Amino acid sequence: MRVFALLLFFLLVLPCAALAEGFSGYAELKGMAYSERSPGDPYAAGWGTVYGKWEERLAESQLTASLRAEWLTSPQTSPLVFDPADRKLRRPPLSIPELWLRVPLASSHDLELGRFQLGWGKTDGYSPADAFLPRDLTDPFADEKLPLWGVRASGQEENLRYQAVLVPVTTPWRIPPLGSRNAPIASGALPHGTVLREADDAPPLPGFAALRLLATHGDWDLGVWARTGVRPAPILRFTADPALQDGPVPVVTVTRRYPREHAAGVEVSRVAGPYVLRGELAALFSGDAELGDAVIATLSLERGFGDGTLLVTLAGNAIDPPVDPTLLFDRGTLPALIVAWNRTEEWGAWKAVWDCGLERGDGILKGEVAYNVTDTWKVTVGGDLPYGSRQGALGALHDARRLVAAVRRSW
Amino acid sequence: MTLKNIKQLLWLAVAVVIIPFYPAAALAAPDARALLRDSESRHRTKTQQYSGDLTVVNKEGKVRKKGWNSYRQGYAGDSKNLIRFTDPPEVKGVGFLSLPRAGSDNPDQWLYLPSMKRERRIAPQDRDASFVGTDFNYEDMEEFDHEKYKVSLEGEETVEGHPCYVIKAIPLEKGSKSIYQKLTLYLRKDILYLVREDLYRKGESQPAKRLILSDIKNVEGHWIAARMEMTDLKKGSRTTVTLKQISFNRPQPASRFTLQNLTREGGD
Repeated sequence: MRVFALLLFFLLVLPCAALAEGFSGYAELKGMAYSERSPGDPYAAGWGTVYGKWEERLAESQLTASLRAEWLTSPQTSPLVFDPADRKLRRPPLSIPELWLRVPLASSHDLELGRFQLGWGKTDGYSPADAFLPRDLTDPFADEKLPLWGVRASGQEENLRYQAVLVPVTTPWRIPPLGSRNAPIASGALPHGTVLREADDAPPLPGFAALRLLATHGDWDLGVWARTGVRPAPILRFTADPALQDGPVPVVTVTRRYPREHAAGVEVSRVAGPYVLRGELAALFSGDAELGDAVIATLSLERGFGDGTLLVTLAGNAIDPPVDPTLLFDRGTLPALIVAWNRTEEWGAWKAVWDCGLERGDGILKGEVAYNVTDTWKVTVGGDLPYGSRQGALGALHDARRLVAAVRRSW
Repeated sequence: MTLKNIKQLLWLAVAVVIIPFYPAAALAAPDARALLRDSESRHRTKTQQYSGDLTVVNKEGKVRKKGWNSYRQGYAGDSKNLIRFTDPPEVKGVGFLSLPRAGSDNPDQWLYLPSMKRERRIAPQDRDASFVGTDFNYEDMEEFDHEKYKVSLEGEETVEGHPCYVIKAIPLEKGSKSIYQKLTLYLRKDILYLVREDLYRKGESQPAKRLILSDIKNVEGHWIAARMEMTDLKKGSRTTVTLKQISFNRPQPASRFTLQNLTREGGD
């Protein structure tokens, strides 16, 4: 019974995607009201989503497929084009978040093929093992992972586990339209009113390969990993074509490139009384002059308080990047302190998050309250409040201060 | 008559007075510890699996419900547990794995959240905290271990038509972190199965909560309460746990209680 209680505690604290045999999904309508009207961005925006997931057992194998349909008013959904790998600049109206088949190789060894999300790392809030995986920042406060096309082998023998992943095609990060309120890029570098024209250039084809080994020994969980391949977060190139400078404000063309990067890291976590301590250290190497190398360390502490959890994470990069770090996206906020507190109540749940950039003094305060009308109807209200220097990755989102209200029906 | 003879006569008189009562007293007052030990021994099984529902009804009558599948191997302190939630959709697929650890009161515990795509190790929770708005707290969720209590037989009562032993259990002071000062246990005499528990918070003379175990049936030769209801006697709210498709002693694959299996989406 105790394990049952502990599980329930986390269930209501952390909303999760549906998963099991059969068909499930949700429909959600979200509205956002902004405190300011930035150029090209209205005071309000809407976001509608219908998500369906189908799961089936085929003897000892598992087949899972899901489809998502979305409608965004700002930034707008891209035209309906065939983009199964999510390699276009903007979020497509129809997408395939999952399409995978798992085949057991032995009793504790699996092979998974298809399109799936990958989650690595020990530290919550920020993890160098997880940060390189592609993100969709269309909503910069949501931090949604993009799924990958790939093959994964995983298994366990006694207390040792492994994961080997081969992702043949790069799925690039999706960032909001540059110059919009949602773009996590520091302002001020370009003259006021500069028009940014983004080229829909094709990312490279090669993806990455990675290996992760994990072990559990007493209170300790240990892990090592390595990966090599194309880094999915872009390096932006700004060029001013004289032929385009025909107005009062400069016009800058933005293109993207994706350097190669090799990385290795260690992960450690342990239970210490009522606390869980987690730490990661990663070394990242690149021959690219703009990306440079990095040594990223994270340390986090988690403690449950009744129906809630308090999480504190500290993350930093020991090597200053050769370019403005806000242009590197996955490490743009470092060094950072992340504090998250959530609780489950009889009526629903709430959470408060403080994400603080330690170098420029910028940050984001986030609050959210969810009311469970029934088991399948949920109403959520909240707000995101970026503050501080606009030169920081978090303060740059100042114009995206907003209130959010959403209603979701699950099935 | 010598002094020795007088003493013998006195002892004989005492024996004549006491002996007729002694066997009756012994039969009427079985040892509470022995009863609880016997109860645990009778209901121990090698494995157990079931599907279950949790229903919370608050004082306004609002109902919340969740479903899960549970697998257990071993019993009480040496058990391995895997739980996978199936309903409602918001929590579907979340998994929880608990493995015993030699030399420790606390098992190793991991949680798998489909939204994060990775497992997380978790620490023992506060025993004093209620969880997710239900009427259980973490201490209520622990399997009752009579060795951690001073127990005594208080008498007999009939509960739902069944004669029961009434046993008082007081948490041992040594190292006790219990939120209760006393538990009153009602143990069915015929099958030595717990059917009711009154829980007294520290400093209170009336029970704060009451746990009723009902729909007791014999499944595959083992007694089990298919319905457990915890009522908060002050708040007026209640939480009901219902077990379905129960089975015992079915061989569980060795790979079921592993982290690899915990992270298998769509798996058991």
